[in-house]
Amino acid sequence: MDLLQNLAIGFSASLDPVNLLYCFLGVLLGTLIGVLPGIGPTATIAMLLPITFGLKPETSLIMLAGIYYGAQYGGSTTAILINLPGESSSAVTAIDGYQMARQGRAGPALAIAALGSFFAGTVATMLVAVFALPLTEMALQFGPAEYFSLIFLGLIASVALAHGSVLKALAMITLGLLFGLVGTDVTSGAQRFTLGIPDISDKLEFVSVAIGVFGLAEILRNLENESDRQVAIKKITHVWPTRDDFRQMVGPVLRGTGLGSALGILPGGGAILSSFAAYTVEKRISKTPEAFGKGAIAGVAAPEAANNAGAQTSFIPMLTLGIPANAVMALMVGAMIIQGIQPGPNVAIEQPQLFWGVITSMWIGNLMLVMLNLPLVGLWVRLLTIPYTVLFPAILVFCSIGVFSVNSNVFDLYTVAFFGLVGYVLIKLGCEPAPLLLGFVLGPMLEENLRRAMTISRGDWTVFFTRPLSATLLVIALLVLVLVFLPSIRAKREEVFQEEG
Amino acid sequence: MKNARIVAVVAALMAAAGFSGGAAAEDYPTRPISMVVPFAAGGPTDTVARLVAESMSRDLGQQILVENVGGAGGTLGASRVAKSDPDGYTLLLHHIGMATSAVLYRKLPYDTLNAFEYVGLVTEVPMTIVARSDFEPADLKGLIDYVKTNKDKVTLANAGVGAASHLCGMLFMSKIGEQLTTVPYKGTGPAMTDLVGKQVDFMCDQTTNTTNQIKGGKIKVYATTTKDRVASLPDVPTAAEAGLQDFEVGIWHGVYAPKGTPPEITAKLSAALQKALKDPLVVKRFADLGTAPSTEAEATPEGLKTKLTSEIERWRPVITAAGVYAD
Amino acid sequence: MQIDTRELACGGLFVAFAAAFAYGTVDLPLGSALRMGPGYFPLMLAIILGVLGLVIIFKGLGRAPSPIGGVPWRGLLFILAGPIVFGLTVRGLGLAAAIALVAAIATLASARAGIRLMLLLTLSLTVFCVIVFSYGLGLPYALVGPWLAPFLPGR
Repeated sequence: MDLLQNLAIGFSASLDPVNLLYCFLGVLLGTLIGVLPGIGPTATIAMLLPITFGLKPETSLIMLAGIYYGAQYGGSTTAILINLPGESSSAVTAIDGYQMARQGRAGPALAIAALGSFFAGTVATMLVAVFALPLTEMALQFGPAEYFSLIFLGLIASVALAHGSVLKALAMITLGLLFGLVGTDVTSGAQRFTLGIPDISDKLEFVSVAIGVFGLAEILRNLENESDRQVAIKKITHVWPTRDDFRQMVGPVLRGTGLGSALGILPGGGAILSSFAAYTVEKRISKTPEAFGKGAIAGVAAPEAANNAGAQTSFIPMLTLGIPANAVMALMVGAMIIQGIQPGPNVAIEQPQLFWGVITSMWIGNLMLVMLNLPLVGLWVRLLTIPYTVLFPAILVFCSIGVFSVNSNVFDLYTVAFFGLVGYVLIKLGCEPAPLLLGFVLGPMLEENLRRAMTISRGDWTVFFTRPLSATLLVIALLVLVLVFLPSIRAKREEVFQEEG
Repeated sequence: MKNARIVAVVAALMAAAGFSGGAAAEDYPTRPISMVVPFAAGGPTDTVARLVAESMSRDLGQQILVENVGGAGGTLGASRVAKSDPDGYTLLLHHIGMATSAVLYRKLPYDTLNAFEYVGLVTEVPMTIVARSDFEPADLKGLIDYVKTNKDKVTLANAGVGAASHLCGMLFMSKIGEQLTTVPYKGTGPAMTDLVGKQVDFMCDQTTNTTNQIKGGKIKVYATTTKDRVASLPDVPTAAEAGLQDFEVGIWHGVYAPKGTPPEITAKLSAALQKALKDPLVVKRFADLGTAPSTEAEATPEGLKTKLTSEIERWRPVITAAGVYAD
Repeated sequence: MQIDTRELACGGLFVAFAAAFAYGTVDLPLGSALRMGPGYFPLMLAIILGVLGLVIIFKGLGRAPSPIGGVPWRGLLFILAGPIVFGLTVRGLGLAAAIALVAAIATLASARAGIRLMLLLTLSLTVFCVIVFSYGLGLPYALVGPWLAPFLPGR
């Protein structure tokens, strides 16, 4: 049996004591660094890349991969505790996770995130091991037309991200799309909305925008309450999830895992969509959609599972084709080249101990993470008891260093301040920041793929409907549109009463 | 590793303390050197820089830290270095874009030929003309004929304005005298994905990106853009062999220092670079990438200066004719 | 007639952003729906945003004002100044001094922090960050920048 043989090769590599140690070091470092707000996995791996030069190739990749998913775990921790997502994926976790923390349920939120991620990681690793090669072939069927339809579907569905006015959510998405277009237009090379500033001639930095609209704006919102001694966070009632919490997380975790695994394979940034998509699905099928945005367990469990599953399966195009799907994977490819391994379709055949070693180490790493993080939950929760006057200067300092370390560009810091102001004003005016961030991430992808599809088809609009995959996605988008607007007619009426009452 | 870093940082502090005394060129280097790569970490240029920096560090006795300052087609990083102190502690490793951005950008924040001192050429990465695996033409001649008769159908991918694949594509179009529909991507990764996925027809890109896809049978190759065959792809004809004369393009990389850096320092750096290019590990890794280190004569300030000057003049008519600008 | 000032301001802000982005597309070639230029897609978005903004304003007419709540002006000033000051000084003063400055400025944002807390926080955060980021992670930035060089004892 080929698979068993391959897994045996893999485990013999990943269970090697040295590799095990570096796997642990990787996830530990990743977790610790992910917890520092503002520093995401990309910056961390870039910084630690030189350390891996002296290691064996599989050891170095195992460690780097560990940092990657470790940092994602850690990133969720800050998203939940202080509303600071370090990555687009944890932006969704922040919505309900942070509300849970404010209600004194930070412990359960963190534990749910850890367990959901572990389950998703296990399933996704199995998927990678069994289906890596056929899945890659399928992912390659996704051309520009399919990506456009997929992103369009994602945007339509994302209206569910808002728990306030649908109208404002739509406006925020549109504004986010516009901010996402700042910089060089890929198709024509023209500069757009850069005001002649060379530092944003490529694009606005995601980390800066996210830290601004989430992090800084949140600090400001908390400072409002300073005068009345009302502490923002309620007393912590229990650290561990109750039996009821567990019951509530099963469905969302399963669905999130499925969605995340499927979307993560797409090299064109499917992983970004996965957590947004999982959240949307949960809110749509939930019997209590009004609980979302106010600390719903499903709102933490589903996107966390999806995000972790997507993170694992996004290794597939990198490992099977040598084509990086995102900045982190690009770094991995760089690390492989420096190690003298040529990433590409032949890695699985020529370097089985590396290929399968990395895959199996992902499962081991996930196991380590859950064992590492569950005991830490108590510690993280206690962090919340630190007086806010002490906590927020630390957050601000970490954010400043973190943002700077992404591109070594001081302009990114001014961007943080600008988006902090914009984000705060918009929150004050009743607008949620999450849809803005989603639009920001998807804006360039939407336009790029639309125009690319049109270029390849020589201006023939029908490609979106004649290609079966694309057509299917558009039909789903249409269905979602109907679903979104039918119940929202009812919801809107309720909302009016609420706001007037 | 950790110890080395602490030593380096302490050294940096001490060196900073000694600033007012003026760091003497003989002692150079007394603290870590920052090598700016004007592209994202993990890309081909970053890989070249890290390999060379690692080896040069051992020779100079000080760490060379690679700092990625990406953006604006590499001009952001270049402009950072142009404005840095000319003390030899800030270097730039840039590729062919150093020459082409002088034409692609009508208003650059620095004067390409007068803002830098030269250390030397590092390597010249060959390019390959590749296509989706089921593309009809059988060889380069067939490709040129096919493209000329089907120019309304053919799509030529590239990795964005100013990218190696964009430059090579422009040169190809100007050589065969046709304007084709180009499909730009944000970087090589997505462009290669769509080529492997048969969404676009053909592309011209560096061996660093194409060799493994070629060997894995995921894409078709027509020719290399070199004078001689590429060692890692011995069965692939050169463009000249395949019937397209004067189509030699390489993505050459050079190391620069800010204008005014003392000649003793650049000489020391050149010597370290030349040594690094003979380092067996560097040679081996370069070979894996399908490229070879520059010769000792090229890895000199003069070698780089000559290359830069001639390349600007070479690309000016090509880019002007295509009418593409990045600003 | 009553006007919901919050909705008015919100819609107004969106309209203002829409106008700014629309103005930004003035110099960009629009192209056509079949051959879109760089200006086409953003202009469409700006129009959509403007319409959404107007609808938000329209719906705010004739409604009682929604509460906006107080604004922490002091916090706003110092929190937004933090990253900016870091950006202005990190190259010149170096990482250590820039960290100290941000920490000090951030503590000023809170009305409750006294001078003792400020000094304590500044010192401990600076030490912690220098150890973690400079020594631990090896960030390639100078701890002490060129602006400070003349004040250090020479060799």
